[in-house]
Amino acid sequence: MNNKENFFKGIIKENPLFVSLLGMCPSLAVTTSLENAIGMTLGVFFVLVLSNFIISLIMSNSKLADLVKPVRIPVYIVVIATLVTIVEMVMHAYLPSLYFSLGVFIPLIVVNCIILGRAEAFASSNKPLDSVIDGVGMALGYGLAIMTISIFREFLGNGTLTVWGDLQVNLTFIFDFLKIEPIAMFVQPVGAFLTFGLILATITAIANNHKNKLAKKVANNG
Amino acid sequence: MNKGLISGLVLLTIGIVCGLLLAVVNYFTAPKIQEVEDAIKYEALAEFYTLADYDLSEVEGSGDFGTIYILKAKTTEGLDAFVYTVNAEGYSGVIEMLIAVNENLEVDGYKVVKQTETPGYGDKIVGHDFNVEIATDLSGFEGVAGASLYSTPAVLEIFQLVADRVEADFGGGLSE
Repeated sequence: MNNKENFFKGIIKENPLFVSLLGMCPSLAVTTSLENAIGMTLGVFFVLVLSNFIISLIMSNSKLADLVKPVRIPVYIVVIATLVTIVEMVMHAYLPSLYFSLGVFIPLIVVNCIILGRAEAFASSNKPLDSVIDGVGMALGYGLAIMTISIFREFLGNGTLTVWGDLQVNLTFIFDFLKIEPIAMFVQPVGAFLTFGLILATITAIANNHKNKLAKKVANNG
Repeated sequence: MNKGLISGLVLLTIGIVCGLLLAVVNYFTAPKIQEVEDAIKYEALAEFYTLADYDLSEVEGSGDFGTIYILKAKTTEGLDAFVYTVNAEGYSGVIEMLIAVNENLEVDGYKVVKQTETPGYGDKIVGHDFNVEIATDLSGFEGVAGASLYSTPAVLEIFQLVADRVEADFGGGLSE
């Protein structure tokens, strides 16, 4: 697998949220606004890229890897928890509104399946540079997925798109034009499942359609 | 040497390195975090009272009590209000509230300034009207529907802690 394939697999082919269905709990909880999704993406990006790099660095040394192997899961957890705690402290100090908005879901990044999954499935058996590229691709794939969900939820539920702090796009005129109110259900938990389900169904339909076309092409050529 | 023991020592070393790294980050972020938390508290105080009209002093509480803010009106003699910082254990962490009580033992305001309850469920306590008007009378205390197992007992405990001491504090107990 070359660098380009390694990078893009996390965004489309092996998207952690829409394809592997990993890390769904915090993703559905924080997608009430685009700002929350951007903040969560930044946190996951920092943790995933650095944890992949550090774990790959440890495991690429054959002598050290032999010693770490029996205790590798506790080692991963210690590394990931340290990075998450750094994110938590920095966010608390410099981005307090985002910190309070994301709440308990920042420390929960420690047990996010995507981070541990990439550490065990990829970083532990690949070179540091490849692991960083994998981490960047996966974090961006995750970020794009939760930002897509949050755009739908915030727009349909509040009629706004909060990019960062006071930078908010007010789209209520669309609802005024249609003479309806924003659908508050979309910023509730039920809206998270509904939006996620609809996006997932659309992606699956497109993927199936693409596969069928490919299969037909192969059959015709064969 | 036993391989398992060496693996354990490697884990210990990684743990120590991570601990040191956290200590460094904490050294730089702790003062800023303290500033953020103080700003939240002063914002809440300003919601309760016009701070320009009062002389404000602080006393460090003990046990479940954090800082106690003492307000004396600039125009009159005697104590006018106490604002207590009180902690209690919620479902998923410590809940910290500010409770402002005036000399007539009336609750002038209260605010949750720190909590780690589940967003959208346990954190319904934030901004909830607990219907407590007199600090020593909690008969009107109302829980939060849907969060009673989580946050309500902690908030009730916080009001109870204030109720237990506020009369004595206005009688001079705080200075003792």
